[in-house]
Amino acid sequence: MQASIDAILERFPNKLREDLIPLLQELQDEYGFLSEEIINRVGHYLSISVNKIYGVATFYDNFRFGPTGKYHIRLCHGTACHVAGASTFIQELEKLLKIKHGETDKEGLFSLEVVSCVGACGLAPIIEINGEYFTKLTIDGLIDVIHSFRVKDQDIYES
Amino acid sequence: MDFQIEVNNSLILVNEGETLLTALRRNGIKIPTLCHMNRFSPTGACRLCVVEVDGKRDLITSCSFPVEKGMKVFTNSPRVIRARKSIVEMLLSNHPDDCLYCERNGNCELQWLAEEMNVKERKFFANKNAQYPDNSSTSVFRDPAKCVLCSRCVRICEETQYVTAIDFTSRANNIKVNSAFNKGLNISSCINCGQCIMVCPTGALTDISHIEKVQANIDKKKKEVIFFVSPSVTASIIEHYGIKTEQNPAWLISAALKKMGASKVFDLGVASDLNIREEARLLIDRVKNGNKGPLYSSCCPAWVKFVEEFQPELIPSLSTAKSPQQIFGALLKTWYAKEEKVMPDNIFSVAVMPCVGKKFEASREEMTFKGISEVDAVLTIREFVRMVRSNGIDLRRIEPVPFDKPFSASSKNALKLGYLGGKAEAIAFELFENLKTSSRETFKFNVPKNLSGRKEFKLNIGKKTIGFAWVSGITNAKAYIDDLIADGRSDIHYIEVMTCLDGCVGGGGQPINRIPDKTKNRKKACQDLEKFSPWDNPGNNICLDSIFRTMEKSPDKETWPKLFHTRFIERNVPK
Repeated sequence: MQASIDAILERFPNKLREDLIPLLQELQDEYGFLSEEIINRVGHYLSISVNKIYGVATFYDNFRFGPTGKYHIRLCHGTACHVAGASTFIQELEKLLKIKHGETDKEGLFSLEVVSCVGACGLAPIIEINGEYFTKLTIDGLIDVIHSFRVKDQDIYES
Repeated sequence: MDFQIEVNNSLILVNEGETLLTALRRNGIKIPTLCHMNRFSPTGACRLCVVEVDGKRDLITSCSFPVEKGMKVFTNSPRVIRARKSIVEMLLSNHPDDCLYCERNGNCELQWLAEEMNVKERKFFANKNAQYPDNSSTSVFRDPAKCVLCSRCVRICEETQYVTAIDFTSRANNIKVNSAFNKGLNISSCINCGQCIMVCPTGALTDISHIEKVQANIDKKKKEVIFFVSPSVTASIIEHYGIKTEQNPAWLISAALKKMGASKVFDLGVASDLNIREEARLLIDRVKNGNKGPLYSSCCPAWVKFVEEFQPELIPSLSTAKSPQQIFGALLKTWYAKEEKVMPDNIFSVAVMPCVGKKFEASREEMTFKGISEVDAVLTIREFVRMVRSNGIDLRRIEPVPFDKPFSASSKNALKLGYLGGKAEAIAFELFENLKTSSRETFKFNVPKNLSGRKEFKLNIGKKTIGFAWVSGITNAKAYIDDLIADGRSDIHYIEVMTCLDGCVGGGGQPINRIPDKTKNRKKACQDLEKFSPWDNPGNNICLDSIFRTMEKSPDKETWPKLFHTRFIERNVPK
């Protein structure tokens, strides 16, 4: 059962400016992303200009402004993964999915997020898709993983 | 509290608590700045104002650093000069460099700085800003590629105008000034006041130009291009060209427009007289009916849009009288067209205004009838000056030509609409003339000395006392209105709100220059121009007589109110 926007807003009864980021985080946890409606409501509730909130929210990579795909890919770009070639992985994924990181593809199937460190440096480079981890990846392996998810989705559709 | 600090090996006197930049500039030391604005919070963003302070490892930004006892400052050491030059070179590294095609060519702070810092070669090669310009608005054109991220527009929009239609989004090298949700200005909360254009150091913010449109229609033989000039434009033109003349300087503008190919040039002040008359009538009705709450002026299109967006509860209190520009446009395309036997479609009406918000007002749906817009184009003073130049006209040497009949002159009160407090004064005068009980009563209007901020004035007529107030800047206006409501006051009957500080003399369509005290001087110029007006009272304006005669002949209750009155709509925008 999804908590309503009002219910989440009411968790911050003091309506302070400093409540803004925690409030946005809780709303994103609940809804998956910050819609225009959410930002408008938060602005009205905290008496902060909507444009200011949009400015703050876009400052942080963590906030999303569109829904995630059916399969949400989180690619680790921590130090160890970077050394292991995570940058080329980002490029490859962006090419493969035809989206930039932080975006969702047109079919709503995949979305890509670059995260700092998932805490498994020994297994670098690493990506996580919907809670499932794929470790010590190669470019070919990455292509296979994405392909397997595409096939999986196709199977569900056909059956 | 004063003490001395050492600057460039000599002593200067400073006040405790002021910033280093203020102290240096007061003592005649030139410090280049880009992001600094007087009376605004310092940001230290552009870092051009850096100076070297003895004992400090890094260069410090003088705009945000307070003076300290025992300071030793160097404002032009080689290190400082080198740093400033590098800053400009880096600003230029991703700038489009298309100065020849830029609106602000020759009047651009970045250009001046590059010249001042002796930048002669390209040191840093970066990818050019390639962002799409935003031409969605009716008034303001935004080209983020030319933006140097000084935040002046962001601060004036937030601090003076309350609106915050634009702000920084994203961060680091992706940062840009943007409207809410990365959507166009047209659907943002922007009120089209144009103050961002006035503070922009580069060509990132300019007005939506109507020059091409006007020029194209002058070329069409079928079209009758009719210009009407706001009285306050004259004040700025005098200032811009340094004109000193015994005759009415407004006639120089009329002469120039005639040379450009105008069929007719009229004085917009005639419509100001009508506007004053209509608004005073509304106020008299309110006072007589004992209506609670003040009547708000509505001749400022930006203020009207602000109310529609942010305070729709005030819509019933807005004066329904159209602004002078729209009254004039409506008159031209109905009454005048009939009198002169021209088709309304064949009239191309152009207003010359000190405002960019008027471009928006002219495009409002309520300001059209049968699909014909009342005002087809609005030229700001900047655009007018540009047209004068491109037509090869020397305004200083031109032979003055009076305005055309039937709208050839306005009353003294019409000129008052150009500056803050003037409208309230004009309305008060009109009210006094209408309500005075004996001819022995004389009108006294003691204008409080300070030009800016909120002001109040009480008018005594017979046993009645009527309160007038005026305020400029939306932040000031909102604070004042909130105070009025919080205190439950009912002694104020009329409030004049001007979006731009000091009224239209500080408007968003004025020439962009650094002349000090320009609003004060323009106000004075407006008052000086009153000597050319033949009438004190808007009601005495004989230009209006024939209109009133037609009104009496056919007292059509459907048409006339539509000509002079408008309606407002609630706007739902991200705010």
